[in-house]
Amino acid sequence: MSDVSATMDFRRRDASDKLRGRTRYTIDRYLPGMLHAAVLRASVPSGRIVRLDTAGAARMPGVRAIVTAAEAPGKIGIGIADHPLFARDVIRYDGEPLAAIAADTLAQAHAAVAAIDVEIAPLPAVLTMADALQPAAPLVHPDWREHEILLEGGARKGNVAWEATVVRGDVDAAFARSDVEIVESAFRVGRQNHVAFEPRAVVASYEDGRFHIETSTQVPWTVRNATARLLGVAASRVRVTVPAVGGGFGLKFDLAIEPFAALLARASGRPVRLVNSREEEMLTCLFRENAEISIRSAVTRDGEIIGREAVVLMDCGAYGGEQIFLTTMTAHTLGGNYRLGAVRLVSRAVYTNTAPNGAFRCCNGVYNTFALERHTDEIAARIGMDPLAFRRRNVLGAGDLGATGQVFEGDVLRPMLDRMDTLRDAAAPARVLADGRLYGRATTVGTWFVFVGPSAATVNMNADGTATLVTSGVEIGSGSMMQSLPQIVAGTLGMNPGDVIVRAADTDAAGYDVGVGGGRTTVSLGAASLSAAQEVRTKLLKVASDMIEAAPEDLVMREGRIEIAGAPGSGRAIAEVAARAQAKIGPISGTGAFTGAGVSAMPGCVAGHFIDAIDIPVFAVHDCEVAVDRETGHVEVLSYRVVQDVGRALNPRAVHGQIQGGVVQGLGYALHEEVTIGSNGRVCQNGFETYRVPLALDVVPVEISLYEGAPSIGPLGTKGAGEVPILNVGAAVACAVAIATGKRVQELPLTPPRVLELLLDRKQDLALPHIADVWADNLVRPHGAPDRAA
Amino acid sequence: MVLSLSVNGDRLTSIANPATPLVDVLREEFHLTGAKPVCREGFCGACMVLVDGSPAPSCLMPAALAQGCEIRTVEGLATNGALNPIQQALEASDAVQCGMCFPGMVVTLTHLLATTPVATRDDIRAALTGNICRCTGYERIVEATLLALAARRQEA
Repeated sequence: MSDVSATMDFRRRDASDKLRGRTRYTIDRYLPGMLHAAVLRASVPSGRIVRLDTAGAARMPGVRAIVTAAEAPGKIGIGIADHPLFARDVIRYDGEPLAAIAADTLAQAHAAVAAIDVEIAPLPAVLTMADALQPAAPLVHPDWREHEILLEGGARKGNVAWEATVVRGDVDAAFARSDVEIVESAFRVGRQNHVAFEPRAVVASYEDGRFHIETSTQVPWTVRNATARLLGVAASRVRVTVPAVGGGFGLKFDLAIEPFAALLARASGRPVRLVNSREEEMLTCLFRENAEISIRSAVTRDGEIIGREAVVLMDCGAYGGEQIFLTTMTAHTLGGNYRLGAVRLVSRAVYTNTAPNGAFRCCNGVYNTFALERHTDEIAARIGMDPLAFRRRNVLGAGDLGATGQVFEGDVLRPMLDRMDTLRDAAAPARVLADGRLYGRATTVGTWFVFVGPSAATVNMNADGTATLVTSGVEIGSGSMMQSLPQIVAGTLGMNPGDVIVRAADTDAAGYDVGVGGGRTTVSLGAASLSAAQEVRTKLLKVASDMIEAAPEDLVMREGRIEIAGAPGSGRAIAEVAARAQAKIGPISGTGAFTGAGVSAMPGCVAGHFIDAIDIPVFAVHDCEVAVDRETGHVEVLSYRVVQDVGRALNPRAVHGQIQGGVVQGLGYALHEEVTIGSNGRVCQNGFETYRVPLALDVVPVEISLYEGAPSIGPLGTKGAGEVPILNVGAAVACAVAIATGKRVQELPLTPPRVLELLLDRKQDLALPHIADVWADNLVRPHGAPDRAA
Repeated sequence: MVLSLSVNGDRLTSIANPATPLVDVLREEFHLTGAKPVCREGFCGACMVLVDGSPAPSCLMPAALAQGCEIRTVEGLATNGALNPIQQALEASDAVQCGMCFPGMVVTLTHLLATTPVATRDDIRAALTGNICRCTGYERIVEATLLALAARRQEA
């Protein structure tokens, strides 16, 4: 195959219009006759709806439609269907929707929302996981037993929405050995807000008995199917199209506000626009979840990890959502990186009366890597081993077993550590800072994966020599749809990638797709596109073979021509062959499909997991130097280096852009992006003034080395490259700060007040009394026991 | 009351309430959706426009106060249909990702290029204090600005 256009720094076709302000995102779509919508949200974290009377609101000027829970009978969720569109009878979080109104203007919609007569009787609330796990805690879902189960196997009880476990080997025996040191660590992290610049936004209409939803999403098919489920209509009656998306980061990897607009469009017969205010985005954004981690290891004096056990608590907020799935990931993140003798892990998604959490770039991985790497440094310190030497001794290599017993292929992390040594040694050596600030440096490793799953693609060969790629992929900013996909198709067909037209996502035009996220775009959509392009290639070569009078296997496609191999300039232009084909046998097209291979785990190891093993592991090594101000507790990042396993970089420049951006998002998480929840159950940070994202003055240029050649089932050897850069930033910064200060870093973000507390020894060791000391006492159901919860 | 505004060299009239934020008049009445209302509090800079040549967040400016000023939005920055020097440099550097912040970035940096031809890396970073980007980590934007400044010096 001609690979020339598959590997290049191909420019983005959408950059020019984005720079001119011409790109029409969902928020920029204004249709003739369009109505504006607003949502009434609850202002208590827990309560019973005594009265919800919309009669007065309906008489307000400009009001065209009002919808409430009666119009949305279904419930959605992952694993369990626990989430209705509107609160019904019971309110479970501050901000939960109660009703939606469409009016001629947005001001009229807001006025009408304010005119809804609502009375709520407050109920006791549980705002923290510690509260939720108390024996007599009020239940967020008193009816938890009645929720429809969508995936069997997860243990559940009361405020524990889902529990997933891993047990491999005899952990008790490992901890009982006389030749081991037992090292125990505890960690806690807060939530992180995506702050996608385009808020969640939708314009919906109702045409010919079907909903047309134009929305800012990463998952058009999820929006289609989940909207249908909530509204109680056939999924085929929902069409979802997606213009350019102004930032996702996982925020838009789930259904959002689409069904409100869809219902209002059907009720009013007019297009309806609904856009979240920034405050709504700040308060209900499907945050990266807050989490608490207890981890304990049995390690020999020479650095072998004999046994490991851990408990991870993940706050899912009022509804299960993504956290139910994420309980699976602990096995591969906290249970990743290192060879383990015996291991047992439990991951629990816990209900609280707070805004639901969701997906965020390297969900679960970011804080579990922070916990694992800090724990690793505490182990190394305990046994008196250099932290890098300890990592080099223990990182996963060819033939090693993962936590769930999957067998890893290839030595990847060890040579990546070597590569980082080279980068680090080429730069300035460790220093003493002349200004008196404390200096620290740390190197951390991380394990992530590609969330493979089903994708479909069609390639239509046009008689003018261009090709049209039709998928449900969305351009969220990472460039995968603008760069890697056309590069893959063009590389297969010997074309210029600029001649590959990329159709914007439309569920009426392209087949099912899991969505753009989890590092899967280039891999899954890329594999489907590759296979579709290969079918086109085969058909074209057959036609060309007659025209050129040469066997198809002797032909190559390059530079827009089909030629006899080794004879440049021979043969015909692709356009000629495509035109001939169209006239003789009809237009040429190809279809492709892909899904994960399904790597096997060790039987009996996992319970309540959505995937047992990871099809495509992705590794990262980060190195960070920090300076810590003794007086203020301010942490400055002096340098940052990344060695990232990319499989193969189709567009190295684009990958570098993703790494710089992902690392900076991670620096925000590590240092100053902080979400807190007040005693009223409401998120305290309601705007940019109180939620501090990185500014240009906060960041450093990241030194980057792409590690190619690790095994991957991705097309052309690729792995996802856009998600993983944030993975071990919290870890690297935390380890460096711990080394600089000599203090035990157990929490993120490392804001100046928190660091100052550490420096002044005013920070008590983190206690997590709601995590039982005996691992098995944390489980609502013993690992491997049959489900008797119902 | 009818407001009379000068936007990108055009005389335009608006029937909006005088206190309406300029960004809403630009977007909803004049269909100039380049300026993005991201935070509506003046922190993010995505709605930045040039008011008499100086960058200002259009979310904080009541439309009536824009009367008598020359307003230039990102849509009015291309010269003879071609990208202006900073737009060209940002495109060439593969700086753009989701793109939502770029209308404001381009406005701020067009002004910087015009007023501070000797800007250093730190000057550029400081100039971007009022323009937040959530995707790129800023580095490409700073690099592109240095590139545009260098090109400009070469021409001079």
